[in-house]
Amino acid sequence: MRYSYYPGCSLEATAKPYDVSVRSVCQALDLELDEVKDWNCCGATSYISIRELTAFAISSRNLALAEKMGNDLVTACPACYTVLNKTNIYMREKEDIRKTVSEALAVANLKYDGTVKVRHLLDIIVNDIGLEKINPKIKQRLDGLKIAPYYGCQISRPHGTFDDPEFPMTMDNLFSSLGAEVVNFPLKAKCCGGMLMTTDPENGLSLIKNLLSCAQDNGAELIVTACPLCEINLEAYQKKVNRKFKTDFFIPAIYFTQLLGVALGLPKEKLAIGKELVSSEKVLDRFYGGKR
Amino acid sequence: MIKTSEKLQETFLEDIYSIPDGEKLKNCIQCGTCSASCPTSHLMDYTPRQVISAFRAGMLDRVLKSNTVWMCASCYYCTVRCPSGIKLTDIMYELKRLGIKYDLYPPQNASPVMAKIFVDTLNRFGRSAEVVLLSLFFLRTKPFKILNFVPMGWKLFQKGRIAVFSKTIEGKDDLIKIIKYIEKKGVA
Amino acid sequence: MSDLKNNTHKIGVYVCDCGSNIAGMVDVPEVVKFASTLPNVAIAREHKYMCSDPGQDTIKKDIKELGLTRVVVSSCSPLMHEPTFRNAVQDAGLNQYLFQMANIREQCSWVTEDRIKATEKAKKLVAAAVERVILHEPLKLKEVAVNPNVLVVGGGIAGIEAALQIANSGKKVYLVEKSPSIGGHMAQLDKTFPTLDCSACILTPKMVQVGRHPNIELMSYSEVTDVSGFVGNFKVKVKKKSKFVEQEKCKACGDCEKECPVERDDEYEMKMKKRKAIYRYFPQAVPNTFLIDKTERPPCKITCPIEQDASGYTALIAQKKYQQAIDLVRKKNPLPIVCSRVCYHPCETACRRGDLDEPISICHLKRFLVDWEMEKPEERYKKPEIKNEREEKVAIIGSGPAGLACAYDLRLLGYQPTIFEELDVVGGMLHTGIPEYRLPKKLLKKEIDRMKDLGIKIKTNTKIGKNFTLGNLKKQGFDAVFIATGAHKGLKMKIPGEELAGVFDGVEFLREVSLGKKMEVGKRVAVIGGGNTAVDVARTVWRLGADEVNIVYRRTIKEMPAAAHEIEETQKEGIKITYLTAPLEIIQKNGKVSGIKCIKMKLGEPDSSGRRRPVPVEGSEHEIKSDMVIAAVSQAPDLSFMDPSLQLKVSKWETLETDPLTMVTNQEGVFAGGDLVTGPATVVEALACGKRAAISIDRYLNNLPLDSKPIIEAGLGRKSKDDIPKIDVKEKYKDKPRKPRMQIPGLSIKERAGNFKEVELSIPEKLALEEASRCLQCGPCVECFECVRVCEAKAVNHSLADQTVELDVGAVVIATGFDTYDPVLAPQYGYKKYDNVLTSMEFERLSHAGGVTGGRILLKNGKEPESVAILHCIGSRDENANEYCSRVCCMYSLKFAHLVKEKTPAKVYELYIDMRSFGKGYEEFYKRLMHEGVLFVRGKGAEITDVVENEEEKGKLIVKCEDTLLGFVRRIPVDMVILSTGLQPQKDVAEVTRLFTIQRSRDGFFLEKHPKLAPVATATDGVFLAGACQGPKDIPDSVAQGAGAAANVIAMIDKGVVSIEPIVSYIDPEKCAGCKLCLTLCPYNAIEFNQEKKVSQVQEALCKGCGTCVASCPSGVPIQYGFRDEQILAEIEGALESETLAVNK
Repeated sequence: MRYSYYPGCSLEATAKPYDVSVRSVCQALDLELDEVKDWNCCGATSYISIRELTAFAISSRNLALAEKMGNDLVTACPACYTVLNKTNIYMREKEDIRKTVSEALAVANLKYDGTVKVRHLLDIIVNDIGLEKINPKIKQRLDGLKIAPYYGCQISRPHGTFDDPEFPMTMDNLFSSLGAEVVNFPLKAKCCGGMLMTTDPENGLSLIKNLLSCAQDNGAELIVTACPLCEINLEAYQKKVNRKFKTDFFIPAIYFTQLLGVALGLPKEKLAIGKELVSSEKVLDRFYGGKR
Repeated sequence: MIKTSEKLQETFLEDIYSIPDGEKLKNCIQCGTCSASCPTSHLMDYTPRQVISAFRAGMLDRVLKSNTVWMCASCYYCTVRCPSGIKLTDIMYELKRLGIKYDLYPPQNASPVMAKIFVDTLNRFGRSAEVVLLSLFFLRTKPFKILNFVPMGWKLFQKGRIAVFSKTIEGKDDLIKIIKYIEKKGVA
Repeated sequence: MSDLKNNTHKIGVYVCDCGSNIAGMVDVPEVVKFASTLPNVAIAREHKYMCSDPGQDTIKKDIKELGLTRVVVSSCSPLMHEPTFRNAVQDAGLNQYLFQMANIREQCSWVTEDRIKATEKAKKLVAAAVERVILHEPLKLKEVAVNPNVLVVGGGIAGIEAALQIANSGKKVYLVEKSPSIGGHMAQLDKTFPTLDCSACILTPKMVQVGRHPNIELMSYSEVTDVSGFVGNFKVKVKKKSKFVEQEKCKACGDCEKECPVERDDEYEMKMKKRKAIYRYFPQAVPNTFLIDKTERPPCKITCPIEQDASGYTALIAQKKYQQAIDLVRKKNPLPIVCSRVCYHPCETACRRGDLDEPISICHLKRFLVDWEMEKPEERYKKPEIKNEREEKVAIIGSGPAGLACAYDLRLLGYQPTIFEELDVVGGMLHTGIPEYRLPKKLLKKEIDRMKDLGIKIKTNTKIGKNFTLGNLKKQGFDAVFIATGAHKGLKMKIPGEELAGVFDGVEFLREVSLGKKMEVGKRVAVIGGGNTAVDVARTVWRLGADEVNIVYRRTIKEMPAAAHEIEETQKEGIKITYLTAPLEIIQKNGKVSGIKCIKMKLGEPDSSGRRRPVPVEGSEHEIKSDMVIAAVSQAPDLSFMDPSLQLKVSKWETLETDPLTMVTNQEGVFAGGDLVTGPATVVEALACGKRAAISIDRYLNNLPLDSKPIIEAGLGRKSKDDIPKIDVKEKYKDKPRKPRMQIPGLSIKERAGNFKEVELSIPEKLALEEASRCLQCGPCVECFECVRVCEAKAVNHSLADQTVELDVGAVVIATGFDTYDPVLAPQYGYKKYDNVLTSMEFERLSHAGGVTGGRILLKNGKEPESVAILHCIGSRDENANEYCSRVCCMYSLKFAHLVKEKTPAKVYELYIDMRSFGKGYEEFYKRLMHEGVLFVRGKGAEITDVVENEEEKGKLIVKCEDTLLGFVRRIPVDMVILSTGLQPQKDVAEVTRLFTIQRSRDGFFLEKHPKLAPVATATDGVFLAGACQGPKDIPDSVAQGAGAAANVIAMIDKGVVSIEPIVSYIDPEKCAGCKLCLTLCPYNAIEFNQEKKVSQVQEALCKGCGTCVASCPSGVPIQYGFRDEQILAEIEGALESETLAVNK
């Protein structure tokens, strides 16, 4: 199976490990990813929030580039996923937007006919490949590992194309089929504060604290996310949370591709495991010959 | 004041109605589902629902001067749950745009600055880079605060999770052309 | 055509102001002026209200005085006043169809913003009407007689009201209700708002009236399946689903219910309680009879060749009713001991539990029963009694399972069967084929002794063709013959060396051993073949002390025909199985076997049997050392006995040919079955043959024609997977705890060596009970027939079938009611996730005295709630669900609040968006609840969560909402949440729409003819609506509509005739080519095909004048009165011409 790949800015920086693990896992699952050449920022939340049409325009540039490549466009970043999707829908359905944006693209000798399908990697893995095809490739079952899959917002909201906006299940199903024990995590689709962490840390921290304590109280050893921003917010700010709320959280958060990679028997390096600020060593080493 | 406020009101309404499904705003039954579903409404000066009643009261400028729209974290709960099909998240975006356009936003709140910087960096490089973003951001808002972030930043840097230099894409000129075109059209 | 109309007509044109409705936008005097200039217009007038009596009188007056020949009124929509003006015209002695209406209100003044434009348009419309009306022709209303019987669909309060009113007026009413009782949702309610009187108390009297009303024929548990005909003369097919209880006999004593072992969720109790598989819908049900739930039928039973009641005896075991269980087994199975040991149990393969984890161990449960019986045979074995003795004698040849089964069933019917057996042992293959360690001979003997004890004669050592011939049997006084001599002839391998010493035939070998002959076995024995015989042989040889036993099979284990568990045991016993290997030749050393030359095989394309055909692998020849070779490749019948004089027909497989079900041969009076007919098969299949033959022989001896029907009815027909109702077991039983099947106790391998002790041991009671309780009882009825046993009225009848009746009715009232919104679709409310989140209907049952808590309002943990939140508008006023307001929720929510307050000290919150209390006494009710101290919060509940944020929230459900009057977001901790779920159309609404060719409005409910002026009529004449099927309604409104619909129906019927618009289409038989295209397109099935004339004919009574046939006919034959092409063209012409006129002015 072949897809066009849109990493997005975060996966080139703070979420580098995400990018690394995405590529390794896809290789292991015989998914061929062709990176969209010279892609630009999707416009993400901050941009779209103050320059909507411009955001649509620059996203359309990416879509236009992807359209030339043919295949579905897959991204691992929910923010990009949402913006690209929204752009795509509006380019198809809203005449006025299509018109202006097409004109803008034309200036750069680009055109977009709205034929690209924008997909999230999780959707590809669970629905295009499917659990029954993944399981035979599993080298290392995750039996006994207690995880809290955390979806955050934009992977299923507003579009909810492949999962439920209120109670998403794809990661739960994926990892429980690999033997992991998915703990009850009612806040799995609640908001981590997003950019609030930078613009209003005081209040941002309390949202994160709620998520962390909910995961911990339900016995999770590990949080698994599919979003760069969620991941950074959940693990990188744990110290701050502990300081502010006199708590003692030490619960690693990694990307779903990293954990899937573990199950596929890939070495730590190929998954960039160990790059997290809250070390996942204690939790994951049992799968690398270490004992619990 | 009232007069301008009324004038603004009209421009605002026009603007909102022009965005996709913007007209649905008229269907609001003031049930408060949006506010109750919002992770940050308890931090807002006005609840999301009140934003819409403010529209109807012609007092939108007050809302824009409040922190409300800038507290929106784009979680889209209001949008998926609204019984009247109002895409409130998109409306919040539109209001941020208007706020910036008409210099109607709370001075003490940082988000507008963040948003602007984001746009600038992007226009500069074609891709965003947290370092540039954050440093610029803190320099412009609360320079001393940047220190709180340094330790974490440093750790991230050690883990190779910080790209110090922003990539500049080849097609940058094209991108600028595209952006300029839209700005020129004045519909951004 | 203009010259045609010149001065041939006098047209009156009347333009209406409709107050300011028209005059406000259209310059009426201008239009009148214009009209008077039009050709043939004799007079044009303006009037403020044409529809008023003075308005109508001017028309009448002009017709009389000016001798008008045509009339045009330009006013409102024809929907409003066409009838008014037509009558006026008719009264004045002019045919009412010489009139045309121009709609200058809805289509002009109301929808045009510019006065000039509006006036111009009005002119055009008038001109068009004038041109058209000239070509109108006088038409006559048709009248048809009305059948006075009425069909009411749906037995809720609206249907009940309608039925009673109509019945009281002396008409016959058929009341069809889908569920087992009438009463509908109202029968489930506790109290009713705003009066708070008990719902049942006011409803049940009406239900009882319906039940005993002489004019009402109540058809409960029934559905309308087909509707044809037209107003006044409908033909309706109704399917009455079988209740398996005879209504007139049932005393509703409930004994059956007590005895029934099966529990199911009680739909009436909103699944908060359990009911039995035989049950009564609710205590005051009308009709008050029981019924049996057989929706999904037990696959174990229906796949068994003799339909052994597997699920039945399993359920009885689970209840420790062992005697009933074994009796049930014996009812159909003449050889239960044998089957409990050797059956290949297709029932277990079909068992639905298998889709969940593992099938029930059905066969071994039978084993448990027969062993239990043999502990105390004298008291536990019930010898069947023979009711009426008959002297007819039947000869049965062969004492195998087929012969024994046939003899047994014939004997029970009173006949005198005699079994002729070649050997001196009885049982055929049961004795000579199945080794002792699987079926101990003494057990077989026990079964056979019981047969003898019944009076079945068995003559051993009598070989047919030797001691006697089929031919002379008749002379010996036998009235019928059943031949079941089996398949005892082992087939050869057809390879060199087969004749050598040390090469044996499998069947023969087993026979010798079973007859007690001392058999010498070699050290290294090879068994060729993969069937049960091969396995039996191998295990026997092993027991006889061979050092090494090796089964050689040419396919893989997957293709091996032998039973899976047998293969397993074989391997446990250390017997080697060499797959994908075929013998080429038996090698000898000085005249004795020394080994087999074999070749490796690989699997190729599938053959006719679907198994992949093995093909030799080049150059893979090799030798398998062995000093004894036993061939067990296959068996065939030995037909040497056959008396040529009989000329019995033989198939190309050397088997006897018979009818597959009646088992009769090509010779009258001669029947056959078992392996002789089927080729090597299983015991239970042989039993089925014997039992079929018994039924046929009985018919033969009673001089009845042979017939497969009684055989199929007895459950002995051919079985197919399609007989099993398909269900998603994993989904339906997802909450069922998984549990593996029981482990069968058996001898250890050491204990087995060198002896023939039975390998499997008796099953301990505890184990059997656990296993039996694993049964899903998926039928749900398990058919244990305990209900039949305990019913004194003899009302239960498991063989009652569904029946379809056809009714002739003149009118139909549809009152199919509503469904409620399923909050599972809005997961944020935690319904089904949190125990104490209830829907409104669930709360009704909770608070109802007959409900699960006897009317006490309790949490799942049995405690009283300290606080309750009631959330309005769940699934209503919501684009994500239903957009409309459900009208009843506000009020029943207040009622709930009152009930909670009345029965508990709890705090009650009402979360509302807008409080809608429009009805009589409703606002007062609202006030009353305020006084009762209910805490009203204006804001919709957005989410329910159990994730707490502080101490006081611990253990509570948190309702998140915004108090919109405060502008605060609140987290309200409560113990119980009631979701005021809205009303929506029934699930089958689309089906009903299609059946009665009516329409639905955007909200999905049935569409009334006019929202204000015809709320209970539909676009289909003679079909009326009542109650919530037309839109959400409370009880008073539903009752009012029921009565309203009744009034409509009665008026229609009492008139005796209905007049039918003559604006229908007509097909000229001379021109029709009979292509039938119109038949398929007509939406009202109004066109029939005249077979002798070979043309399509319009049934005018059915035709609605839609014009589809006119438009679709390839040769343009049909015309439509009132809408002929020339009329429409003239109308268009008029509109266009007038344009020029307007411009010229």
